[in-house]
Amino acid sequence: MLLTRKSVELLAPVGNWEVLEAAVKAGADAVYLGGKHFNMRMHRTDTNFDNEMLKKAIDYAHQHDVHLYITINNLLSDQEIEPMREYLQYLETIQPDALLVQDLAVLELVRELGITIPLHTSVMMNTHNEHAINKLKEYGITRIVVGREMTLSELSLFKERTGIEVEYFMHGDMCISESGQCIHSGVVFGQSGNRGRCLKPCRWAYKLIDENTGEILDADSPGPYKLALNDMCMYRNIPELIQAGVYSFKIEGRMRTAAFVEGIVKTYRQAIDTYIADPCGYTTDEAAWKNLYENRSRDFTTTFALGQPTAKDIGFSGRREPRFFSQAVKEAGLSAPIVDKINLAIKQPEKQQLAVRVADLAAVKAVCQNGANVIYIGGESFKPVKVWTLAEIKEAIHIADSYQAKIVIDTPRTTMRRECAELEQFFTALNEIKPAGIMVSNLGSLSLAKRLTNLPIQADFSFNTFNHLSAKFLKDNGAVMAVASLEASYPQVCDMLSASQLPVEVIVHGATESMICDHNLPAMSLGFNPLENPEFCDRHYALLDTAKEVHPIRIDQYGRNHILFAKDLCLLPYLAKLQGVTSYRIEAQHYTAELAGLLTKTYRGELDKIKTNSAAYQYDPAVLEAIKKISPRELGSGAYRYRISR
Amino acid sequence: MFHIGILQLTQNLDDAVRGFKQGLQNLGIQAKFTYLNADGKVEMLPGLAQKLVDSSVDLIFACSTPSAKAAQMITGEIPILFTPVFDPVSVKLVDSMQTPGANITGMSGMVQSQDKIALIQELLPTAKKIGVLYHTADGNTLIETNNFCAAAANLLTIKKVAIQTADEISLLEEILPSDIDALFLPIGRIVEENFSSIAYYADMLEIPIIASHAPNVVMGALGALVANHTALGLECAHQAKSILIDKKSIQDIPVGITKTPEILLNSFVADNLGIALTAELQKKAKEIYA
Repeated sequence: MLLTRKSVELLAPVGNWEVLEAAVKAGADAVYLGGKHFNMRMHRTDTNFDNEMLKKAIDYAHQHDVHLYITINNLLSDQEIEPMREYLQYLETIQPDALLVQDLAVLELVRELGITIPLHTSVMMNTHNEHAINKLKEYGITRIVVGREMTLSELSLFKERTGIEVEYFMHGDMCISESGQCIHSGVVFGQSGNRGRCLKPCRWAYKLIDENTGEILDADSPGPYKLALNDMCMYRNIPELIQAGVYSFKIEGRMRTAAFVEGIVKTYRQAIDTYIADPCGYTTDEAAWKNLYENRSRDFTTTFALGQPTAKDIGFSGRREPRFFSQAVKEAGLSAPIVDKINLAIKQPEKQQLAVRVADLAAVKAVCQNGANVIYIGGESFKPVKVWTLAEIKEAIHIADSYQAKIVIDTPRTTMRRECAELEQFFTALNEIKPAGIMVSNLGSLSLAKRLTNLPIQADFSFNTFNHLSAKFLKDNGAVMAVASLEASYPQVCDMLSASQLPVEVIVHGATESMICDHNLPAMSLGFNPLENPEFCDRHYALLDTAKEVHPIRIDQYGRNHILFAKDLCLLPYLAKLQGVTSYRIEAQHYTAELAGLLTKTYRGELDKIKTNSAAYQYDPAVLEAIKKISPRELGSGAYRYRISR
Repeated sequence: MFHIGILQLTQNLDDAVRGFKQGLQNLGIQAKFTYLNADGKVEMLPGLAQKLVDSSVDLIFACSTPSAKAAQMITGEIPILFTPVFDPVSVKLVDSMQTPGANITGMSGMVQSQDKIALIQELLPTAKKIGVLYHTADGNTLIETNNFCAAAANLLTIKKVAIQTADEISLLEEILPSDIDALFLPIGRIVEENFSSIAYYADMLEIPIIASHAPNVVMGALGALVANHTALGLECAHQAKSILIDKKSIQDIPVGITKTPEILLNSFVADNLGIALTAELQKKAKEIYA
């Protein structure tokens, strides 16, 4: 197809009126900005637009033939649903050109209210496969901001297959974690990155250590900022981006100054126009590049656009880090979380279950023997543990059957083209094996499972289910259970439990993940080549922060890195207060069969006691002491220490 | 039409620039602006200051101490107005507040320590022992810490908690006295930027924080008494008028200081700590964050 001036949209970030004027003047085709609530830049009160200014901004943009998109891209708590409903009704009257969304609840609200504004998925929705896109199209999504882990060839393919319009972050700040899949700030500080308040633990200083021995492995490394991804810059790759089919060229930086935005927009405007006018005659404008480069804040990277990032894509020294947002802290232990002070009565569901996620057959047996009702197997296996074969899954079902327990099969959190293709075959096979259900982690695998099997489908924690309306979305799309977000505080979880029509599972114990990265962090820090030394990936690495907390890194069969919290979640002391829960879940896939069995036995015992006589139930701290003794890490209360997770 | 150069260190100071421009407009002063922002990079400031001098501006409005220092190094002739500079005398921008110097004056962003102490006493009437967490490598922090301790003598018991580097905040629980009634944070970049980690530990000990940086109140300090940057900018516009229109000698334009610092409060934090915000305080507060 021949390129025209309309083939590409240059999309600029806007934090205030001055920046809006500068971006328009510099030649942006479209701008995106946030209102005073519900967006990804909530730290500063002096940025973002109030309702009246939003209307003025839309008028101004339209007078200049520029599109204006409004970000309402954070997760909502149940308390925020009503304000969001009102906000959406207001936005309908002022008609921006699109809304950027993350929370599935907004899709529900848009449908309910008959909102006519086109919807774009935020990068925070972590859209990375064609099946998810097809589902989202049913909800009025006309454009997706693709996950930052997509290569250009991957995004070309799914654009071709779905016909969706693609927006791509091509300049500015990046997350090292998959977008929308980092809960570090939310769980530790009660300030969620998925709710616009990220305190950037990825910018902390870390040492890379051997988790088992504590040996420091990176003494010769260029610096301690192991997760400090450089800034995206695709200026030298404009032709590749355009030819890959990216429509909207997105610049990051809604906190940036007018001068900064104006400079970046002008530079890209010129390059895009020059290329479109004469693609074969195009060369990079080296003077413009020099200017861009000399005025950079961090160094530049193309992250995943052109292939797997390496050590050169990380700003190890921290020298160019513009500012820090926090320092590492000791994760909260079990003392005095807010749960103690709050009394909420919620109706108990008729049937309650104890579910345990495990890593191998020995653990399946151990948890069955100790009273698990449901066992989750499959999904990611973490090196050096082997992945589940179909034969082993059959064996697990056989074991579980003999204890009247059920096996539910997990699937990977991230399912790009390869994983989706594998899942198609896998789901077909599961129709024969007949487990009790399937667990999925994104909209794409949900759709795929729905299409290929009749098995009950559960939505895992990667869906970030934070309110009852996103649970409703999942229910409408065939899920039989959702997991409460680990970032939600106790009162927020209770709000969801009392309003949800979909049964909700709460993770009560276990090693939980703060981030999932497509980078190979140990290889980047230590400079080894996984092709030459694949056995290096079998080692258990960890990040040691300046609060002396150790964050284990686990590498899965796809090479993705999962960073765990330093403390394992333990809600045992608060179990009696967690009412309205359909499924209590233990994340034991990082534990030995022995510990998985002990935990199951303990939680089973306490739940039974509560069920028999909740009024007389008294928590016995000695039970906890037994668990502490054989836990690999200290135990903590996660986001339950907060009254509200912000 | 005057040509005014604006030299800014970070976008945190946008309000001062906005106030300055607004002030000029209010006074009917027509100006075109050359606006340069170092985006947080102090090392860029001398180059940017040189650019302004090369374009023969009539006046430089320098936002922050490093900007003012950079401008002062480059030119001894072009008038410079600064804000918010905490203590322009000790950083040798001016000879004295009353008679500043050859070509430089402005507005200090300092809020008097006795006023901050008065706020603490009003917010927390029973507080006796106050921790002061300060970063030893920051000149302004040291000045304010000394001022604060001097002003607190006979009123409060002060426990100083010093950090040499930002990452010492990670182990704050080991050095933070648990028996303090409140934690005061003097001005200073390291403490302000990493406020959330400080608040994290203070929160565990249920210690309220009194901050000096307005955004820290939104993020979880109980309160702060701060100079309004917009107001400082507006005052600078008056000084600009004295220089550009009234042709007053800069020597005769004393460095100003905020006369109306603003109280900011956080009612969510107050609730969490079981602290009552009196009706009178609420009335006086410029902003109460929930």
